[in-house]
Amino acid sequence: MRIQSFVRAGEITEICGRLSSGRTSLLISALRRATRAGAAAALVDADDAFDALGAARAGVDLSRVLWVRCGRRRDLALRAVDLLARCPGFAVVAVDFGELAPRLSLSTAFRLRLAVRRSRVALVVLSSRRIAGAGAALAVETVQANVDWAGPARAVTRLTRLRARVSIVRARTSPVPSPIEMAWWCEVSDGRAARFA
Amino acid sequence: MSAYACLFVPSFLAAAVERVEPALRERPLIVVTGTAPATRVVEVNAAARVLGVHPPMTEAEARARCSELTTRTCADEARAAAHLALLDAALAVSPRVEDAAPGIVHVDTSGLDRLFGDAASVGRRLVREARAVGFTATVGLAESRAAARVAARLGRAVTVVEGGRERETLAGASVMLLEPDADTTMTLARWGVRTVGELAALPRDGLVARLGAGGLRLHDLACGIDRAPFRTYTPPVFYQEAQGIDWEIETLDALAAVLTPALERLCARLAAGHLAADVLDVELRLVSGERHHRRVALAHPLGDPQALLTLVRLDLEAHPPNAAVVGVAVVAHPVRSVAGQGGLWHPTLPAIRELATVLTRLAALVGPEAVGAPQLIDSHRPDPATLTRFNPQVVSEDGGGRKSRMREIAGSLHERVSAGHGPPCPAASAPRPLTGVENTLALRRLRPPRAIDVTWESDAPSALEWNGARYRVMTAAGPWRISGEWWDVRGWARDEWDVALSDGTLCRITLDLRTGAWSLDGVYD
Repeated sequence: MRIQSFVRAGEITEICGRLSSGRTSLLISALRRATRAGAAAALVDADDAFDALGAARAGVDLSRVLWVRCGRRRDLALRAVDLLARCPGFAVVAVDFGELAPRLSLSTAFRLRLAVRRSRVALVVLSSRRIAGAGAALAVETVQANVDWAGPARAVTRLTRLRARVSIVRARTSPVPSPIEMAWWCEVSDGRAARFA
Repeated sequence: MSAYACLFVPSFLAAAVERVEPALRERPLIVVTGTAPATRVVEVNAAARVLGVHPPMTEAEARARCSELTTRTCADEARAAAHLALLDAALAVSPRVEDAAPGIVHVDTSGLDRLFGDAASVGRRLVREARAVGFTATVGLAESRAAARVAARLGRAVTVVEGGRERETLAGASVMLLEPDADTTMTLARWGVRTVGELAALPRDGLVARLGAGGLRLHDLACGIDRAPFRTYTPPVFYQEAQGIDWEIETLDALAAVLTPALERLCARLAAGHLAADVLDVELRLVSGERHHRRVALAHPLGDPQALLTLVRLDLEAHPPNAAVVGVAVVAHPVRSVAGQGGLWHPTLPAIRELATVLTRLAALVGPEAVGAPQLIDSHRPDPATLTRFNPQVVSEDGGGRKSRMREIAGSLHERVSAGHGPPCPAASAPRPLTGVENTLALRRLRPPRAIDVTWESDAPSALEWNGARYRVMTAAGPWRISGEWWDVRGWARDEWDVALSDGTLCRITLDLRTGAWSLDGVYD
């Protein structure tokens, strides 16, 4: 099970999990994969939480990402997704609802499903819980497994790695595989890098 | 008859400011750049130069010499407008002009004697045209542009250099009129070369061996020799299409029917020049005598009349005119359209027409300042991101596309850390993904950062309160002390900590070293 198997053209994928479970890192990996291949991606950011510097460090080609900042307005985010899901040419349209996921009626979910099926857009919904229901072809859940720190145990110096267990909780067209463990590394930030120079 | 004239405006930046504010002509004026207290003088007018003020002294030094100085910043718009005005003045005399530098225009004067008379008359005409657009200019006329350029700087209103006598006429001029760079100026001063004639007399080969290509250029100028071809300046074409209407239009559908042929004609003209519209200005003449002006800023350059019509309709629906329409005019601001074809194996991009419509609708939904491609600012400031126009380009044939500078920086940083230049890091010695920057832990930023209360214990945070809830800090790594722009009011200094809370949340908290306030910067996820 790899990143490309999470994101499928013409289908809705849900990524859910609690904070610090690696769900946003998984989404960034999907954006990275799409933009590095030369495709365009869109990110509807309901919470205005996207870290552009971190995404650039992760290898996302920012010039190929359309960032829609919704200023914590969930209704605007939903309407923006509705527009983007109907625009062919985007490889990935991601919507980040963060912690306060809105209610998504079944009719809305199925309307989005039909829209992405026509436009061949891969729609990724990130939230703390599942909201697309049967509209989603795939639902992925992330759970924090372990956190690694650098330095002695009593006086750690740096956060180095987050390990998470990624499991598929719903797959409409294929059998559910067993969970896998993924790891994301903490890069030194721009200002912190000065200590290494 | 001399072949070229050089129209020169001394202290062009100051002249551009004086053109906008004519009252400043009689007062000492300095044009400055930079932010206080490091503002530097970049240009002064004649009145300030008399008082001993000159670039590149600081504003404080200048004020110490003259407290009555008027200070203006260097505005790009005023400078660009002034430069265009000077070009227009030159075009009023000759159809062949060259944009040489800010404040310097070369004019081809061949054949103008039949219109204006001798060379001095042409020069006086140029001075008069420049005065008409607000400049006090000087003109040099000679057989070559280089000689005319030096002659224009001699200080007289019109200087005519006879053909074949360039070296004699200009021999006494200061070598500084050739604008050598600082190093060359010092070298020439050491050699005792002070005039153009002395420089022209130097052996060319020896000058090139000692000063390089810059020395060659200076020698050409001193000898009055043109090496570069004359690059004719072409004024930008004004793309406007207008349509008068014999009856009054009150509905949007009828207006669209009138706008369609106007937009089609406009797009045909743009297509002929391989251009696309970046901004569209729509001006409606109303039956009441007023004019209803709308500017449609296109999210993506367009040359498709139907797409433009859709966007204009959307804008007019939101901002309808308050009376019947009796005339329409559309003006396009052209930009060079990018031609390109995707490779067979490359993913497709959104069609320009659909993308433009979607971007316009998104801009109407969340605001134009909230839609675009993220762009990193070249700064160490936390969260150095802004938005720019979303305009994905077709991947180049090598498949690489453009490599962003930040990604290069990220890659080099990672290599440096991996190579062992970082602090001892046991966990980092574990095998890492081969591609390096893959699988980077993402940070969810809180904008603006939330204020929190932190309990301090044994030189590290032990607990924090956020949203009325108290969390115990299980692990804390830090502090990472960063600061920047201390010379400016926007400077920052802070300590960053990465903490693991009792509920498993990994946060980045920061202590502002100037205010002592703690804040939650983001959550690792």
